[in-house]
Amino acid sequence: MESRLESVVCPGCACLCDDIDVTVAAGRLYQAANICLWGASKLLGHKRFHAHKERRRLTHPQLRQRGRWETVSYETAVARTAEILTQARRPVIYGLTNTGCGAQAMALELARRARARLEPADLAWKGPYYQILKEFGVVLTTLEVIRDEADTLVFWGANPFHSCPRHLVRYSFFARGRFTDRGHEERRLAVVDIHPTELAELAQVFLKVRPGEELALLQDLLSDLEGRAPASSKGVRRLAALLREAAFGVIFFGRGVSYGPTPQILEGLAALTARLNEQSRFVLFPLSTDFNAAGLSQILLRELGSPLAPDFAESPEVTFYAEPVAWDQVDAILVVGADLFWFLSPQEMQGLQSRRVPVVALSPMANRTTGHAQVILPVALAGVETAEVAYRMDGLPLQLSALVPSALPSDEEVLEAVATAVDKRVGGR
Amino acid sequence: MRLAIVGGKVFDPAGNWQGQERDLYILDGRLVEYLPAVDVVIQARGLAVTPAGLEIRSAVAGFGQNYLRLWGVWPSPRELGQTYALLGYTHIHEPYLTFQTANYVHRELAAIPLVDTSASLVLNLQEFDLWLRDPARHAELAETWAYLLEHTRTLDLRLVEPWVKFRQDFLRPRGLQTAAVVEQLLSVVNKRGLPLTLEATPELLALDLPVQPGLHLSSLGPALTEPGSVERALALLARGTFADMGLLPPTSRPGLPAHPVRVDLGWFQPFDLMPPVDPQVAGRALHLALAGKEYQLAFSVACLGQTPPSSFPHIFTWLGNAANRRQDWGEGQPGEEMTFYQWLRATRTLPARYLGLADRGHLQPGARADVALYDLPQTGGWPESCRRCRLLLKAGHVVVQNFTLVQPEAAKVTYYRRGPGTPNKLATEFCRQRTLRPENLRVRRLGPGRWQQVA
Repeated sequence: MESRLESVVCPGCACLCDDIDVTVAAGRLYQAANICLWGASKLLGHKRFHAHKERRRLTHPQLRQRGRWETVSYETAVARTAEILTQARRPVIYGLTNTGCGAQAMALELARRARARLEPADLAWKGPYYQILKEFGVVLTTLEVIRDEADTLVFWGANPFHSCPRHLVRYSFFARGRFTDRGHEERRLAVVDIHPTELAELAQVFLKVRPGEELALLQDLLSDLEGRAPASSKGVRRLAALLREAAFGVIFFGRGVSYGPTPQILEGLAALTARLNEQSRFVLFPLSTDFNAAGLSQILLRELGSPLAPDFAESPEVTFYAEPVAWDQVDAILVVGADLFWFLSPQEMQGLQSRRVPVVALSPMANRTTGHAQVILPVALAGVETAEVAYRMDGLPLQLSALVPSALPSDEEVLEAVATAVDKRVGGR
Repeated sequence: MRLAIVGGKVFDPAGNWQGQERDLYILDGRLVEYLPAVDVVIQARGLAVTPAGLEIRSAVAGFGQNYLRLWGVWPSPRELGQTYALLGYTHIHEPYLTFQTANYVHRELAAIPLVDTSASLVLNLQEFDLWLRDPARHAELAETWAYLLEHTRTLDLRLVEPWVKFRQDFLRPRGLQTAAVVEQLLSVVNKRGLPLTLEATPELLALDLPVQPGLHLSSLGPALTEPGSVERALALLARGTFADMGLLPPTSRPGLPAHPVRVDLGWFQPFDLMPPVDPQVAGRALHLALAGKEYQLAFSVACLGQTPPSSFPHIFTWLGNAANRRQDWGEGQPGEEMTFYQWLRATRTLPARYLGLADRGHLQPGARADVALYDLPQTGGWPESCRRCRLLLKAGHVVVQNFTLVQPEAAKVTYYRRGPGTPNKLATEFCRQRTLRPENLRVRRLGPGRWQQVA
C-alpha cells in the first residue's frame, strides 16, 4: 500500500523547500519529486555526491571499549554520556545546526545543567556577522522579497550549487518573481570566490581572490564607489559598476568568508552594504547551509539575548563567545546535528585524539565524527522520521512532519534523557 | 472554584463604576452577579478593583524584533510576560503580522508567558491594487481578506502604508493616493464587516474619515509631524473616531543601535524597528493624549523599543502627574492630568472594545474574571499606585499576589477572527504567488495555549 504526501518540507538544506511530493510505501520513502541531491540524501538516504550509494544508518547505541565497539542499551549509552559530561572540566556541546528547534532548545537546557559551552557549528562565520550587525545595523528581508525584487546578486565566498542547490531556482538567480518575471534575464550576478565555481560560469563578474586578498578588494570597491583613488584590484571597476546600477541588491556570503580574516571581511562587507544602501536598497544575507542554522540563532537570541556561543561554566552567569572554541582546551565533546570531524584540521583532530578527549555523537547516519566517537547514540532523522520545527535561512519557521515511522528516539528525547542523567549525577549542583 | 473579592472600591468605566464599594463574585473563571457561598474570599479593603489591562499595540513579536536583543535593549519573552502581568495586564496585541511571517509571529507570541495574545494582519496593498480599483470585485476581495484572517489566525486587518506605491519605476502609474485607497478600502471592509486599523499618517489626519464601527486609527503620535496636526487629530476624535495614542519619549532611549534596524517585507519602504524620536513630534503626541482623554483614545506607545513595557509606569506619570511630567519634558507642557478612571478607560475599556473581545476589559457579570487590584491612590496620585499590581486574577486564577508572581505558567489563549474557512478563487491565487505553499503557511496550534475564535 503506497501513499503520496504533497508539499513536504525538505530538511536537506536551509532553503527548506516546501514543494516536495513524496511516495511512501512499507514505512519507507522511495520516490520524491522536485528534490535536489541534498534533499535526496536526507529523504531517500543517498550519499550526496554518489546518488546510487546509500548512507549507512546507525541502528544501535555503541560504546568504544579498549578500541572495540560494543553494542549497548540506550540507558547505558546515556549514562556514559552523562558521566563524560559531568566529569569534564570544559565540556562542549557542538553542532545543532542540522537538527530541529526542539532538539536545539533541549541542548541549550543540557548545556545549562552540565555547565557546558554550546557551540553552533557555523560560529566561525556567523559569530563575526552578528558582531558587525551591532556596529552597522541590519536590514532583514525574506527570500520571497529577494525573489520578487532583487536585480543584482553577489555571492561572496558562497556557492549555492554546493550548499543549497535549489536556492538559485527558487529564490535568487533563476527564480521568476512578481517584478522579475524574466528570471535571470533581468538579474545581474557577481561571484567572489577562491575557486572558479560552477556559479562563476553564470556570472557577469567573477573575481577570483586568494585568501586574505578580500580586504584589499573591499577597500578598492569602497574607494571606487566613493569616487576616490582608482582601484588596483583586478575587476573591481566592473563589480563596482554592477553594484552601482542595482535597484535592489543582495550580497550573499557563505562559509568561504571564514578562510580569510573573517571579522575584517565581514566588517568590509557590512561597510559596503551600508554604503550601497545610501543610494539603493542592499541586503547582506548569510547563506546558511544546514537546514536549521537560523533556528539556533533565533532560539539563542530569544532565550539568552545573544546568538553567539554561550558558555555556562560559571552558571548562572553566561559568557558569550564570537570566536570558535579552542579545541586544545576542551575535555569532552557532545556532537549533535553536525559532523565536527569533517571541519577539524588534522592538527586539531590529532590533538583531541592524543589527549583522549571523549566524543559523544548523536547522529542518524555514520559520519566522520561517529568514526572518532567513544559513544554513539543513533537518533531518528529530524524532519523525516520525527516532526520538528526549523527556520529557513531568512528566519521564517516551518513545520516539518514525520513522514515515516522510526524505531529510534529523536535527538530531543535522547538529549532530554542525558539532561536527566546529568541532573542525577550532579545532584542539584 | 467560587471566589469573592470583597470590600474593594470597584472602578469599571464600562459599567460607570467609579470607586463604589462592591463585592465581585467569580464562578469558574467568570464574573457572576452573586454567589450565596464561595470557596475563597479575597479581602480587597483599601484596594482599587479594576479590570485587567489590555495592551492594544504591543509590537513584541514581529519579524526581526528578535534582533533587537543583539543590542541588549529588548527583554526576553519571559521577562516581557512577567512585566505585563506585574503591571496588571492579561492581553497583548501584536500589530505587525504578515501573511508570510504569521508562523514566526505566533511562535514568538507563544513564547511570551502569562498574557493572552492576538495580532493584526498587515496587508500590502500592492498585492491587491487591481481588485481595490474595481468596485465589482470588492465583495470577492472582502471574502479573501476574511479568509486570510482565519488562515493567519489574526483579529483585524491593518495598513501600515495606506496608499499604493510601487518601488518599480515601470509600475509607478498604478499608484493610488491615500484618499482613494481609504475610500475603496472602506467599501471592501464594509461588505463583510471586517475590522480595519490604519496606522496614522499625516495624510490620513488630513482626510475627512468617516466614523464607523471597526475602523481604528492607530498610533497617532508619529503622524503629528506638523504644527496643526494635533488640532486635526482632535477634530477627528471629537467626531467619534476610534484611535490610540502612539506616545513617544522626549528623547531616544540610551543604548539603542546607532544604525537602522530595518525589515524589508516588500512594502514601499522597509519597516524601521527603531525609528529615531523627534522631540517636537513626541511633545505633540503627549499633548494630544491629554487633550483627547475624554474621546475614544486608547493608550498605546509608538515604539516599544523606545518605551518598553517596563517603562510604562513612568509613562503613566506623564499622563497623570503634571509635576512629574515637567521633570522629563520641561516647561511648556499642558497642566492637565488624566484621572485614574480615564486611565482605566484608556487601558481597559477601549482596547477591549477595539479588539472586539466582548468579555474583556470590564467587570460586569459574564465577563472573564481578569481582575487587577491596585493600592488605592494616595499621595503621588494614581500613577504611583499603579506602578505595580498588588493582585492579578486571570480567568479567576491568581497570577500575582502581593506584587509577586505566583503562577508563572498561567493558561494562554490566542484570539482570532472566524473566516469563511475555505479560500475563494482570489485567495487561492494570492496564496499561490508565495514561495511557500499555502498549506505550509497556515498557522497551527502552538504549545499548550489554545485558540479562541471571535465572531
